[in-house]
Amino acid sequence: MSISRRHLMGVGAFALLPALGPEAWAQAKDRLVIGMSLEPPVLDPTKNAAAAIRSIACPSIFESLGRIDRNGEIKPGLAESWKISEDGKEYVFKLRSGVKFHDGEALDAAVVKFSVDRLFAADSTVPAKSLYTDIEKVEAVDPTTVKVTLKSPNSYLLYNLSLGDAGIMHPKSAATNDKKPVGTGPFAFKERKEGDSIAIERFAGYRDLGDIKLKTIVFKVVKDPSAQVSALLAGDVDTFPGFQAPELVDRLKKDNRFAVVVGTTEGEVIMATNNGKKPFDNLKVRQAMAHALNRAELIDAESGFGTPIGSHFPPHNKAYIDLTKTYPFDIAKGKALLAEAGYPNGFEATLKLPPVGYAQRAGEVLVSQLGKIGIKVSITQLQWPQWLSEVFKEKNYDLTVVAHTEANDLDRYARDGYYWNYDSATFKARWREVVAATDFTKRDELLKDCQRIIARDAVNGFLYQLAKIGVWKKELAGMWENDPSPSADFSGVHWK
Amino acid sequence: MLDFLSRRLAAALVTLVLATVVVFAVVEVLPGDPALVMLGTDARPDTLAAVRAQYGFDQPLTVRYLHWIGGLLSFDLGNSHAYGTSVARLIGDRLAVTLPLGALALSWALLVAIPLGVFAAWTHGTAGDWGVMGFTQIGISIPNFWFGIVLVLAFAVTWRIFPAGGFPGWRQDPAGSIYALVLPALSLSLGEIAILTRVTRSAMLDTLREDYVRTARAKGAPESTVLFRHALRNALIPVTTVAGLIAGFLIAGAVIIESVFRLPGVGQLVYDSINNRDLIVIKNVVILFTILVLVVNLLVDLAYVVLDPRPRVAS
Repeated sequence: MSISRRHLMGVGAFALLPALGPEAWAQAKDRLVIGMSLEPPVLDPTKNAAAAIRSIACPSIFESLGRIDRNGEIKPGLAESWKISEDGKEYVFKLRSGVKFHDGEALDAAVVKFSVDRLFAADSTVPAKSLYTDIEKVEAVDPTTVKVTLKSPNSYLLYNLSLGDAGIMHPKSAATNDKKPVGTGPFAFKERKEGDSIAIERFAGYRDLGDIKLKTIVFKVVKDPSAQVSALLAGDVDTFPGFQAPELVDRLKKDNRFAVVVGTTEGEVIMATNNGKKPFDNLKVRQAMAHALNRAELIDAESGFGTPIGSHFPPHNKAYIDLTKTYPFDIAKGKALLAEAGYPNGFEATLKLPPVGYAQRAGEVLVSQLGKIGIKVSITQLQWPQWLSEVFKEKNYDLTVVAHTEANDLDRYARDGYYWNYDSATFKARWREVVAATDFTKRDELLKDCQRIIARDAVNGFLYQLAKIGVWKKELAGMWENDPSPSADFSGVHWK
Repeated sequence: MLDFLSRRLAAALVTLVLATVVVFAVVEVLPGDPALVMLGTDARPDTLAAVRAQYGFDQPLTVRYLHWIGGLLSFDLGNSHAYGTSVARLIGDRLAVTLPLGALALSWALLVAIPLGVFAAWTHGTAGDWGVMGFTQIGISIPNFWFGIVLVLAFAVTWRIFPAGGFPGWRQDPAGSIYALVLPALSLSLGEIAILTRVTRSAMLDTLREDYVRTARAKGAPESTVLFRHALRNALIPVTTVAGLIAGFLIAGAVIIESVFRLPGVGQLVYDSINNRDLIVIKNVVILFTILVLVVNLLVDLAYVVLDPRPRVAS
């Protein structure tokens, strides 16, 4: 009797398995299910700017000449080595030989030339085109040698050519990469269910499979933060490498199945300020606002995740200097500066917020902090496309909160007509030196100077560096702790 | 009867044509530049202009309207700007999730609400009635997304009977797909059950007071015949009207429920398309839903004719 009952129960449990769907097998040794809070539109990084594309496809599907490693350093990618001329205007890349695309096509210098030409061509519609317009020409010297000549030296070129934006594509598949991406990376595109998931599979023809332990990776889109938690708890998803709801982290920390790993990102959260609009064109007003900022309180609103910043620069970068004390938190000083600027009773301003968690949380705190020096701030909520048009393009705003997540993005302060309307000849001159620098030690010194200039000018409210909150099952090893660039490098990731 | 139906059909067509104009106008005035959404904050003005030209965003409004209508008439919905895939396939895939979800929720609501409403009316003024009314009060007050989260915590996280979300796909796993829709349909139907129960109850109370019901009872008809054959049939007219309206609400409610349960349905598609400013998808989905609501309304009209002969006689 007892045997038959146990037997029956066994059958019952087995019968349930297929009904639970493929999720039930998520813990198989070589399959990883990654949760994503944003769905990429297309899968081609040269067609759309969405960071989610890079977090799925680069360099897992599309590899670039260099590869940015987990410490943010440039390592060989499809180019096994390179030489840069003394004047910084000529880059000669030696390509790896025997590299194959997922469809069997071979990689050679002509393919690389085709790919890089697309980035800066006159009719190019690549989102990151502006990163590559210093390139004058690309030549295929021989099948494994590519020479890139610049109009003027650009110390960031190698980094930019290592980004997913510069993924190497084959002329035969370039047009269809948006739906069916074909690259040279360790994983080949398998299938996509729009609105649900994207699956990639280990590419048997990859040149070095030793480090590729996973066979299948499924990226599952889970937008709602509480649905993210239940997906993890129910075992439908193995990891959220970038968990977006800091207020729910405690719930996951209590569960000993998961590791919660806090790392760094390149995202500076700033209260962007329209320097071209009264009264924000007045340095004293911006200084007053800087004195009103209490960064500890802002980070509290992020449940303690984040590192204070005093300029537009990530604290983990070796060229970083701490400028959080440039205008220390001091309400009396802030009020006095406002009075000096001619606003003894403060003024009214609007804060236009994009629909992202950190901006929503910081927005409420900023209203109260600026209120203490007499600035009456009212919040306007915008959808992301509205924010892009109204705030970013038309510059029709007073204040906004946004994270600038690109690496090396100080150059925005040197751009004409950028949305915060900052125009400083001193900064522009210093930035030109940064770009032209061929000596990286000297470049770091120049970068420190750049940080000081914008901190002193209180261009924006510099709030904090966004943290990367990674949540994954404890048996999973090799995941990236930090996020030096949005990327999908799974070499070394494995189940213990 | 034919005349009645053809008048309804003509009215539906006029509504549809007006709807295309309104939908087009509303979608086109949405603030936000689709090209900017695609290319992001580093885009140069020349690349933005090139992308606008590539997708025809720079064409005059009338040209774009006629192009869209032409496409609709020839069943060519075009390609999504964001996904790069065919809009028809995109919508088709999503309808395969949302329609069963809505149908499940609606049939659930009808199956539970009508007997419950009849029971409440029959036990009018007693504990049974109060119990049902108390339940409906709670059902109306609870937001369905919250109920959904509670269901997930109970049935997926704690007891692991149902998946926490996701949708395996009809072809890959039909049983699992039905399974995946159970909790979402439950949470979607709660509020509708409450509303339908109340409507059924009050309609039943009205008809139970009618003379013909007293006559039926006086003739000695069994209570079940009185309740279901005489009273309920007439009470079903307002219930049908409300059920038709609820079908529209279910579609709106699906946007949130699909997000809680990670279902790749039409609601999520609309939400994403609005955020991506994927105008061509928004336009086509909204028109499709307009057609759907018009069809449901036609069916409701048809149901009146079946339930109640008076519109037939009047025409």
